[in-house]
Amino acid sequence: MDALIRVDNVSKRYDNDGPLAVEDVSLEVAAGEAVAVMGPSGSGKSTLLNLIAGLDRPTAGTVTVAGQRIDSLSETGLAKYRRQRVGMIFQFFNLLDDLTVADNVLLPAQLAGLSRARARRRTDDLLERLKISEHRQAYPARLSGGERQRVAIARALVNSPEVLLADEPTGALDTATGEEIGRLLLELNQVGQSMIMVTHNPVLAARYASRTIQIIDGRLAGDTAGATHSAGAGARP
Amino acid sequence: MLRAASGGVTRHRAQTLVILMVLLVSTASATLGLALLTAANGPFDRAFAAQHGADAAVAVNSGRATAARLAATRRLAGVTAAAGPFGAATVTLTSQGVTLPSSLLIGRASPGGPLDDLTLVTGHWPQRPDQIVLSEGTGFFPGVGAKMTVTTAPGKPQLTVVGVANSITNTADAWVLPSEIGVLRPAHAPAAAEMLYRFAAAGTAAQLRGDVAAVSAALPSGAVGGFSSWLSARQQATGTSAILAPFVEAFALIGLFMSVLIVANVVTGAVVASYRRIGVLKSIGFSPAQVVGAYVARVGVPAVAGCLIGVAAGDFLAIPVLHKSAASFGVGSQSVPLWVNVVTPLGMCALVALTALWPALRAGRLSAVQAIALGHAPRQGRGYTMHRLAGRLRLPRPVSIGLAAPFARPARTAGTLAAIMFGVTAVVFAVGLDATLARAEGGQNLAATAPVQVSLANFSSWQPGSRHDRAIVAALRAQPGTLRYVAAAQTELSAGALARQVNAEAFEGNSSWLGFGVISGRWYTGPGQVVVNTAYLNQTGLNVGQTTTISTGDRTITARIVGQVFVPGNEPALLTSVQTLGGASASLGIDQYDVGLKAGVTPTAYAAGLGRALGAGYAASGPGSGQFYLIADSLIAMLTVMMAVVAGLGVLNTVLLGTRDRVHDLGVFKAVGMTPRQTIAMVLCWVVAPAVVAAVIAVPIGMVLHSATADAMARAAYTGLPASFLAVYRPAEIVLLALSGLVIAGVGALLPASWAARARTATALRAE
Repeated sequence: MDALIRVDNVSKRYDNDGPLAVEDVSLEVAAGEAVAVMGPSGSGKSTLLNLIAGLDRPTAGTVTVAGQRIDSLSETGLAKYRRQRVGMIFQFFNLLDDLTVADNVLLPAQLAGLSRARARRRTDDLLERLKISEHRQAYPARLSGGERQRVAIARALVNSPEVLLADEPTGALDTATGEEIGRLLLELNQVGQSMIMVTHNPVLAARYASRTIQIIDGRLAGDTAGATHSAGAGARP
Repeated sequence: MLRAASGGVTRHRAQTLVILMVLLVSTASATLGLALLTAANGPFDRAFAAQHGADAAVAVNSGRATAARLAATRRLAGVTAAAGPFGAATVTLTSQGVTLPSSLLIGRASPGGPLDDLTLVTGHWPQRPDQIVLSEGTGFFPGVGAKMTVTTAPGKPQLTVVGVANSITNTADAWVLPSEIGVLRPAHAPAAAEMLYRFAAAGTAAQLRGDVAAVSAALPSGAVGGFSSWLSARQQATGTSAILAPFVEAFALIGLFMSVLIVANVVTGAVVASYRRIGVLKSIGFSPAQVVGAYVARVGVPAVAGCLIGVAAGDFLAIPVLHKSAASFGVGSQSVPLWVNVVTPLGMCALVALTALWPALRAGRLSAVQAIALGHAPRQGRGYTMHRLAGRLRLPRPVSIGLAAPFARPARTAGTLAAIMFGVTAVVFAVGLDATLARAEGGQNLAATAPVQVSLANFSSWQPGSRHDRAIVAALRAQPGTLRYVAAAQTELSAGALARQVNAEAFEGNSSWLGFGVISGRWYTGPGQVVVNTAYLNQTGLNVGQTTTISTGDRTITARIVGQVFVPGNEPALLTSVQTLGGASASLGIDQYDVGLKAGVTPTAYAAGLGRALGAGYAASGPGSGQFYLIADSLIAMLTVMMAVVAGLGVLNTVLLGTRDRVHDLGVFKAVGMTPRQTIAMVLCWVVAPAVVAAVIAVPIGMVLHSATADAMARAAYTGLPASFLAVYRPAEIVLLALSGLVIAGVGALLPASWAARARTATALRAE
């Protein structure tokens, strides 16, 4: 099976004379996999996710997603990659406070040039599926943490990305809400959504990921199959 | 505390640079503005004092008074200073086809002296017998190195122009070494000299006449041939400065207001943008006083640096501007007064301290938590409705988000709006004034309708039908580019109760096509009708429609004033047909033919061709640009550019603060797929709404300012203005001028927009 994501000997250094945040990491992720990236604070797991998301560029090595080398893309190429190939969710949601829920979700579709009608249909569909349609005209500040993360997930999925990247998606949520978001991610994976999730939480990793990668001091320290569930091969949500 | 301040300076390099640049340009612009205001305020009197101007330049017949007798007049009662005698000769100079008839040539060993301390504008003083320095007052300067022929001197010697000098009282048209006067004097002309005097009492024409009479009485009879007064030089110079002063003052005031506004905006914005850091400092133990000190110091460092560099830049920029201003005022040289160099940076620093102090004091009083909260992006809820409404527009999403953004920060948006407003006001004002001046110039030199004039090379007049007249008419008819022509005769006549002679110009044939600007009434259409200038009406008390009695020679004519035309100046002027002044029996000599050209014919080429056809003895000249208009145009251009730059910097600052406020949001936009181009478009759209509103406000303000300033300039030039000179804004131009707001805003926002587009997404997302 061809890898959906391929990371080859990637290193990342933020300052010229600083330490490596990620050092010579290589890994592959297959389509439909749900991978948890774990490690202590400052171990480089978020940096690795940012490199795969095209939010940052590696100092050395290559990152290939769906057959496309993203480490050599221009800024415009990276922006198009981020809007079409990946969806990103964050610990603190990163919603835009001055846009309504619907407008937040619509934004990537509008940036991608999707027709107004199609973008709205897609948004309505996602809000319905994620059970937040009653908040479509609300502003993010009025929502609970769980609801905000659902909005963020809807936004990440609006352009039907090949891979969903989640950086501590439950880190800012209470336990119950975290469980709820975890289950939602699991459901998405079960209908074929490939996913990489950075988390501190071993329970979340064990319960909702099929594979766990350990990063310590920027290096790959372990790669084990969780096998709590198996990814489906159906259409992406 | 110092470390906290310096940390702020070095960490926020872009903003520090903006503060420095804004203070630099504002201080430079304020320095220039104040220097211009000072320059426009009594330039003659200050230059007169600086040059130790002579109250009277007395023409002396050297054959009747020896040098010793002349020197003795220095000791006369009432004489406080004297210089001379300087050898003098009245000569005719020609160069490059231009003739300067009756030029007063003075022999002087050096430009300096206790009286009439000349300002050498360019070049150097004559060092050899064949060198000449021209007076700036002649308005003719063929360039250093040009050759001038003294056609009235035996052997027609050639001199090389080595410089231009300014005498505030125009004591000469040109200077050579003293030894050359005898050589250059026309054959058989009596030896002449010039004495310069300063008197204890010379404030009025009567006092001066008395002073010169006392000098004359001390010399042999007939030794004093006449004198020129400093009062007439002042009247001439202040006339020009009075015309320029309203527009220079208007520009200076716009510049000063804009500098104050933008500095206040930038400094307040810089402190407010630091609230979060202030909160952090307080949370680690900074006292309110330390916070205030740290942040006043933080903006103070770049501000003081900007002020110091700005005042130097202002002085540097003032050199060419004041040079032009001095030339237009006819005062040789002007410089930035010392007090301007002291007061401007001090004033700007005080302004910075005041504007930084208020938000810093507020920050000092806030709790740490409040400061951190205020330091975050805009207050919740502001601008949300606009985002919702903009989202409904069928525009690309980055555009609609950008258009709604200004509503989140109303105070900052008001600052942006004000900066653009001042910039657009300056542009509208400048464009209007430029157009009005161009029309005024056209109304004076008739370049659009009669761009070529033909006359005799020695400027004497000729009779209609004479040999010269026939030659000129034949040449005009033979030239394929000739469209039409009219003969003009200049004369002086008496008018009603006016004590002074009136300059009159009488045309032979149809002259309505010449296109003089009509202020009221109409152009004359037949005999018995005249048009006059504003000075004529003001001084006679007559109005358009009334009759005026004019006398020429022994003939008295009653004519109806049918129109008031644009002929600036305090000298009454009258224009009519030759028939009104008596036709052929008046024996008016023709002074020139005004020639209109066919479409596509170049005036200079036509004039050259006509000159060749006519041969020696005739002069055909193309249109020239008056020095006043050239100077005014370049001043307008320079001041407008400076103000647009300050306005652009004001926009740059507010957009920069906006990108800093919203750096996290920018990271989110980029994370969800906004391309760099879309990011730039979004940030540029932040300033579109303020630019449109600013233009809507500024265009009428600029138009009113233009109208008021043009009226003030016209009043200073003793004239009214034709309505067409003021109606310079056509609808399409108004739209274009309004777009200048978008240009200023766009250029100002482009740099921070590019920085926003280039910012690393991951870094932006980590920003709080």
